[in-house]
Amino acid sequence: MPRSSCVLVALALALWTAPATASAGRQVRYIGIHPLPKAEGGGICYIEGPHVHVYDADKVQYRDHRGAHYFVGDPVAYGYDGQRYAYKGHHPIHVSVVVGDSEPDDEYCYLSGPHYHYFAPPEGPEFQLAGGAYFFVGEPPHAYVEARPALMKINAVYQPLVYERPVVTVDAPVGWIGARAEFAVPAVVVASPPPAPVVVAPTVVAPAAGIRIDAHVPMPSVHVDIGIGAPAVIVHERPVIIEERVRVKHDHGRHRGHR
Amino acid sequence: MRGWVLTALALVACSKAGDGKATPRDAVISAWKADQLAPTSMAPAQVAFAKDCQGGAVSGVDVLVCNFASPADAKAAEDPALAWIGAATGAAQAHGAALIVAADRKKSDPSGRTINKLMKLAPN
Repeated sequence: MPRSSCVLVALALALWTAPATASAGRQVRYIGIHPLPKAEGGGICYIEGPHVHVYDADKVQYRDHRGAHYFVGDPVAYGYDGQRYAYKGHHPIHVSVVVGDSEPDDEYCYLSGPHYHYFAPPEGPEFQLAGGAYFFVGEPPHAYVEARPALMKINAVYQPLVYERPVVTVDAPVGWIGARAEFAVPAVVVASPPPAPVVVAPTVVAPAAGIRIDAHVPMPSVHVDIGIGAPAVIVHERPVIIEERVRVKHDHGRHRGHR
Repeated sequence: MRGWVLTALALVACSKAGDGKATPRDAVISAWKADQLAPTSMAPAQVAFAKDCQGGAVSGVDVLVCNFASPADAKAAEDPALAWIGAATGAAQAHGAALIVAADRKKSDPSGRTINKLMKLAPN
């Protein structure tokens, strides 16, 4: 992608995701813990029940719950210091359980890598706890699939954020949504200006089926596909074993294969 | 017969006026005080959405606590009570037959921890 296009995309994303001050001090309804906009000093709002602010929420990290904005992102990325639970990959959020009301509302988290929420999932067969992280192993409904293309953009918000993400080093349980071919997370291209000779070539140890490669070498410019939101951890997933963010060397077209 | 009726009425009137029974607001304020969140002097407040309210402040957050006849009445007043908050961060939540409204007009609770605590401490 040309650099000018990247700038435009970044600008559009920033405008789309940036919260704005509500017009003329208009109250905006929220429910649950959520980040505060930088213009308000940043940090976290710890009010768990319904409440109001005078600034808007962005469209990527919030869902509507009975007319209130409910945050579905990772609060730790914004400085949340309370109880947290690690998750890996996409999963449903049973909002009514989290906020403690009787209005059934299932929303979906589209953060692809390891991340935190301030709530644990309800006990049941749809989540499995492995290595300290929750993996969604249930059957995602049509609503999840339908909204996925638009809401996957949340990963572009978190990818540049530097914070302590959970480290998940265990095998994902069988049936984990992130290892199912039909729900495989497409890599997102992050273009960087071409400085020095680059580095490419994934280390993929893969059995015959279900191979997903997270890095490639488009020539001649430098593009590196990154599993968005993923920290520098090694995640062993069935049936593919992928080492993420492996530094490899580009050989300027004289490709000699993987090292 | 008439005497018995008058006596009964008098007893009822006395019990309502002077039985010292705690109101929903009393229970809320007691819960706050038990957690070192004593409000500054609570004073009667006139608002459109309730008849029996008192207002004060806790750790710089303006608070209003109103008594209602029933939990349903208190719940119904949540939305109208948002007007009292105005252009500030705040919350209006029914807890039993009490309605608690908090407004951080002075921005003394930017993280919302005080408001969260006030709401969570209140009995339902």
